[in-house]
Amino acid sequence: MAKLVLPAGLLVLALLGVPMLLMLRYSFNSFDPLYLMKEAFTFGNYARAVVDPYYQKILLTTVAVALASTLLTTLLAYGPAYWLARMEGRWKSKLTILTMFPLLVGGVVRSAGYMALLSSDGLINATLRGLGLITVPLQLLYTPGAVVFATVGIVLPYMILTLASVIESIPRQVEDAAANLGARPGTAFIRVLMPLSLPGVLAGSTLVFILCMNAYATPLLLGGPQFQMMAPAVYDQFARASNWPFGAALAFLLLVVTVALTTLGSSVIARRYKAG
Amino acid sequence: MTKLSRRQFLATTSAAGASALLASPALAQSKELVVGTWGGTFGDLLKANVDEALLVPQGYDVLQEISGPVPRRTKLITERMQRRGSMDAALLADFDMHAAARVGALETLDAGNVPNYDTILPFLKKKTSVPLIYSAHVIVYRKDLVKTPPTSVQALWDPAYKGKIGLSDFLYTSNMAYAAVANGGTVDNYANAEKGVEGWKALEAKLLPSTEAVGQALASGDIWLTIISAARGYSWQKSGIDLAWCVPEEGAFPAVYEAGVPKNARHPEAGLAYMNALLTPDAQVAFAEKMGYLPTVKSAKISPELEARIGFSEAEQNRLWTPDLDFIMENQAGLLDTWNRILKG
Amino acid sequence: MKSLELVNIRKEYGDAVAVDDMNMTIRKGELVSLLGPSGCGKTTTLRMVAGFVAPSAGSVLIDGRDVTHRPPYERNTALVFQSYALFPHMSVAQNVAFGLEMRRMPRAEREAKSLEALRRVRLDHLAERYPRQLSGGQQQRVALARGLVLNPDVFLLDEPLSNLDAKLRAEVRSEIRGLQQALELTTLMVTHDQEEALTMSDGLVLMAGGRVRQSGSAQDLYERPADAFVADFVGRSNVLEGRVEGGSFRMKDGTALPGTAVPTARYYTLRPEKIALTSPDQGVPGTLREVLYLGAQTEYTVLLGTTPVTVIRATPGPDDTLARLRPGDPVGLRWNSADARLLDS
Ligand SMILES: Nc1ncnc2c1ncn2[C@@H]1O[C@H](COP(=O)(O)OP(=O)(O)O)[C@@H](O)[C@H]1O
Ligand SMILES: [Mg+2]
Repeated sequence: MAKLVLPAGLLVLALLGVPMLLMLRYSFNSFDPLYLMKEAFTFGNYARAVVDPYYQKILLTTVAVALASTLLTTLLAYGPAYWLARMEGRWKSKLTILTMFPLLVGGVVRSAGYMALLSSDGLINATLRGLGLITVPLQLLYTPGAVVFATVGIVLPYMILTLASVIESIPRQVEDAAANLGARPGTAFIRVLMPLSLPGVLAGSTLVFILCMNAYATPLLLGGPQFQMMAPAVYDQFARASNWPFGAALAFLLLVVTVALTTLGSSVIARRYKAG
Repeated sequence: MTKLSRRQFLATTSAAGASALLASPALAQSKELVVGTWGGTFGDLLKANVDEALLVPQGYDVLQEISGPVPRRTKLITERMQRRGSMDAALLADFDMHAAARVGALETLDAGNVPNYDTILPFLKKKTSVPLIYSAHVIVYRKDLVKTPPTSVQALWDPAYKGKIGLSDFLYTSNMAYAAVANGGTVDNYANAEKGVEGWKALEAKLLPSTEAVGQALASGDIWLTIISAARGYSWQKSGIDLAWCVPEEGAFPAVYEAGVPKNARHPEAGLAYMNALLTPDAQVAFAEKMGYLPTVKSAKISPELEARIGFSEAEQNRLWTPDLDFIMENQAGLLDTWNRILKG
Repeated sequence: MKSLELVNIRKEYGDAVAVDDMNMTIRKGELVSLLGPSGCGKTTTLRMVAGFVAPSAGSVLIDGRDVTHRPPYERNTALVFQSYALFPHMSVAQNVAFGLEMRRMPRAEREAKSLEALRRVRLDHLAERYPRQLSGGQQQRVALARGLVLNPDVFLLDEPLSNLDAKLRAEVRSEIRGLQQALELTTLMVTHDQEEALTMSDGLVLMAGGRVRQSGSAQDLYERPADAFVADFVGRSNVLEGRVEGGSFRMKDGTALPGTAVPTARYYTLRPEKIALTSPDQGVPGTLREVLYLGAQTEYTVLLGTTPVTVIRATPGPDDTLARLRPGDPVGLRWNSADARLLDS
């Protein structure tokens, strides 16, 4: 067994690690308009990424959208996850599969679906107009709200499934015990269910936060060209400016910020609940 | 199976390289020809009117390698050090092709290796590439909504069109050339281009993510005027949008699409045959009819009606700018940065 | 005074009836055991009292108040779950104080009271531990403390001993009974173990198939079972099938037994310890088939005709004639006819 695991592990490591190391190296190179990239060892790309208010704002927007989407996803997912976890019989597996279903369709396709929903002649505007509630279509597409809305829709299944599996592992009797001891449903949720499902909330929101921080298609398609987030900005550097060193530096900045925030977030939440 | 040398192996690590290997003389009879190009309508037209009409009968097996222009340009530049490149022919806009030419990635072309070379219109002749089609980025506008037909680039900053000016995010190079010219600069230095872009920001110009989005915005009346190729104006007109276009009195940005042969092509003679085929009148006319782009060779004749709709008058032709492609190449990253900062910041 | 009263209570799940028209009363300070085979509706009944299951019909009265439609958190009951259901993220002290906190008792007071409750179950020294750091028996006692600290109107125990090993079971049994009596807790205990029920309860309710088969004191059920099911379930009984015929009870295999008190009887029941073993000529003759040494007692299986009858006697001393009996030996069985119960059903 070990004979098989070792080479397989090395292969995975190589597949994951080598491109990353290559990018890391590129991020210290310098850009040249003629030859695109010159071997160098400079922190200039990082300095520019960190100091430039333009990229600061993009990073801030990215973090804000990711936080808002994660929070909203958690709030929206909890109820359905609980319902799914506590469900019995054959409907449970059917609904679980149904929840997974959207994951079979790529994020780009689903983002396009949200475009069709939100555009000025899309489903929502057409319905509102049909009902006579509006005459001029509402500007729904190409707004930060549209990005958050679609991102939430896209990551929701991950959150529901993660939460449901953790809630399922909490015995129902523990909840009954809280009610029996006099806890109203709200109190029972805050004092018992919530802390016990915290590992699920943490796992789910970490996963979702990482997905949101790296969202590409959704901000591009639903935010419009004026709305800037990190992943499209990184792509822009590679595919439009041909500036690989700076693109690589932006990508690593995004990585570092994502890792830092998820670590910070989980430790703060975990500590707060330990104390309470 | 022939044994691979280490260098050959390295040269085949790209997908196109791998398919080129299959076509090495020991394995295949037909002559392989790998063309780096755009896909979509453009690629289909190439396939029908160049590949199948002209090259397949000559025994070539044409393989389109489809990608965006920047990765293609990057490939030309980065592969030039290798013994064998992945493409036998590459298509790019003139300023991207220029960058590849500058680093010496392209074969020199002349009547000796491309028989049709001498039929190229003089102002489009280049040493290392042949022009496939051309048009110009002009002011395209809704005839029914823009009451006074524009004649000057200044129309794009007319406060009357506040919120109705559309800008293709892709065409930042052309858009900024207009911005420079409108503010006393030239296409050779792009001086004061920021001023023009800031003017657009102030007028709440709409930034559109793709050419298709520009078409939709014109169709819905979300925007009334924009800068886009006359060829696009023509094809949207055909689709029923009430459009007209003008070459401003200050001139317009030429849109030239070119093709070249990498010096390290696996099958250089195939690449050269492709160049020659692109300059064939029939192929040129097909592009004119389907996409509204103009032929680049004297020998191609399009019908007078079509000429009237897509052609440029001699005066218009003379007004087209001749941008300093060196300047653009060296400053493109900076131009994009300025563009992004002002309109997206 | 009646502390808990169930009036014609019924629970249906779809077509299945889990509890069927049940009536039951517990007086203040009494412990009543709900006894019956698995699946007979005990837990469902308990959960209807706690408020987790809404009855399909009938009502639940606690201290004379109708609580049928009150949610669990508005009933002052304390349920000790079969699985204990401690809160794993809270310390032992926090678990015990939880109910008091829900009743908005000030911190100092509730800490003192929980410690007092933990002292009662001899766990005050483990107050700061977490449930996962305790043994099964200790967890059980925390669950008891968490309930009794509330001084509940009704204390509910669901199979409290089922997860403990045999030695611990006897210990916890007397501990629960001791606490219940000391604190005069009105208690409803669910069990499927008749020994548990007989030794701990003031009253017994025997259920089968969702219905009450007999209720009363331990003596009532043991000495005067209402039917063959009760006789068999409570304690051990020889339940012999047959009919009253010509001055005796004739079993299916034809063997005649003394006693005709109930002419319509279909069952003849006899406790194993009420039967004496004699020589064949002094009682109903039979053949010894098996001798099972149980320590202080010995169990004999005797065939009357073809029907096996169990007899339990104090283990005979070495000189006793009984000690020489071997399987296959002819024996006689004798009993006081008052000890035989003839039952219709
Ligand atoms: N939630 C439920 N849904 C359907 N049937 C149930 C449910 N709970 C219990 N039952 C059924 O009701 C009957 C009584 O169950 P229960 O009260 O748990 O029995 P006990 O505790 O005596 O073993 C059983 O047949 C059981 O299958
Ligand atoms: Mg049960």
